[in-house]
Amino acid sequence: MDVPGERPRPGSLEELPGELMMWVLIISELLVFGAGLAAFLGVRITDPAGFAAAQDHLHRMQAGVNTVVLITSGYFAACALRFSIANRTSAARLSLFGAMVLGIVFLLIKVWEYAEKIEHGISTETHPFFTFYYLLTGFHAAHVVAGILILGLVTWFAKPRNIEVAAAFWHMVDLVWVLLFPVIYLLR
Amino acid sequence: MALIQDPILRAWLSLLALSAASVLVAFLVPAGLNQAVIGSVILLLAWMKVRLILSRYLGLWQAPSWKSGFNWVLGFYCLLLLGLYLIPALAG
Repeated sequence: MDVPGERPRPGSLEELPGELMMWVLIISELLVFGAGLAAFLGVRITDPAGFAAAQDHLHRMQAGVNTVVLITSGYFAACALRFSIANRTSAARLSLFGAMVLGIVFLLIKVWEYAEKIEHGISTETHPFFTFYYLLTGFHAAHVVAGILILGLVTWFAKPRNIEVAAAFWHMVDLVWVLLFPVIYLLR
Repeated sequence: MALIQDPILRAWLSLLALSAASVLVAFLVPAGLNQAVIGSVILLLAWMKVRLILSRYLGLWQAPSWKSGFNWVLGFYCLLLLGLYLIPALAG
């Protein structure tokens, strides 16, 4: 997000890098997921032992690997924008493709994770922990799907402005995950 | 890390290190370490990751006042999460 331009007044909306509407979306998503995570920990107060027992069914290492995958895809998206600004369109497209592939890897691991839970008869009804787990991680996975589609679209229309918007959406997906991962998978 | 000049690469490596640290710290809970300390460290690491993504991936380093605003709000949010997480331990 370092498209060159005039220096705006500090604190003004113009100072924000990229599209203003993308920042509105980022803040909205942070509010939605933030409320969801706070509600998750709020409900946990009523049954901390039950939440800890339910969390034992999750694979922390698997989720940790998925964190590495998503963070690395974010790196590729950031590189794509940089290449695009430097008029290196092929390199930008390759970076976007790398980000998409890692996004797909993230989803495959997520599907595997869900399949394992379903195989063990764990559904949204099993325990409030799993209601939040499916809701929050599922909603996040839906954003990953949307992000992959947007990255695919801008790989085709590889202009700096387009790539900037797509990369910002992808980083928002990253941002949500780095909050979601510790709360759902690590805190016990 | 100081040798790595590229800020995006440095951010990526820092995010990897912070994520690995989070998982390692979480595995210390069964070893009998204090729950409050572990929770605080995990959420502190999450806040640091959020700061990095906002600053380097999303480019807020170019808008210091916005960056500061996001950092404060998300820092308070992480404190809220920590408070909610610690209530059962404090009540028990």
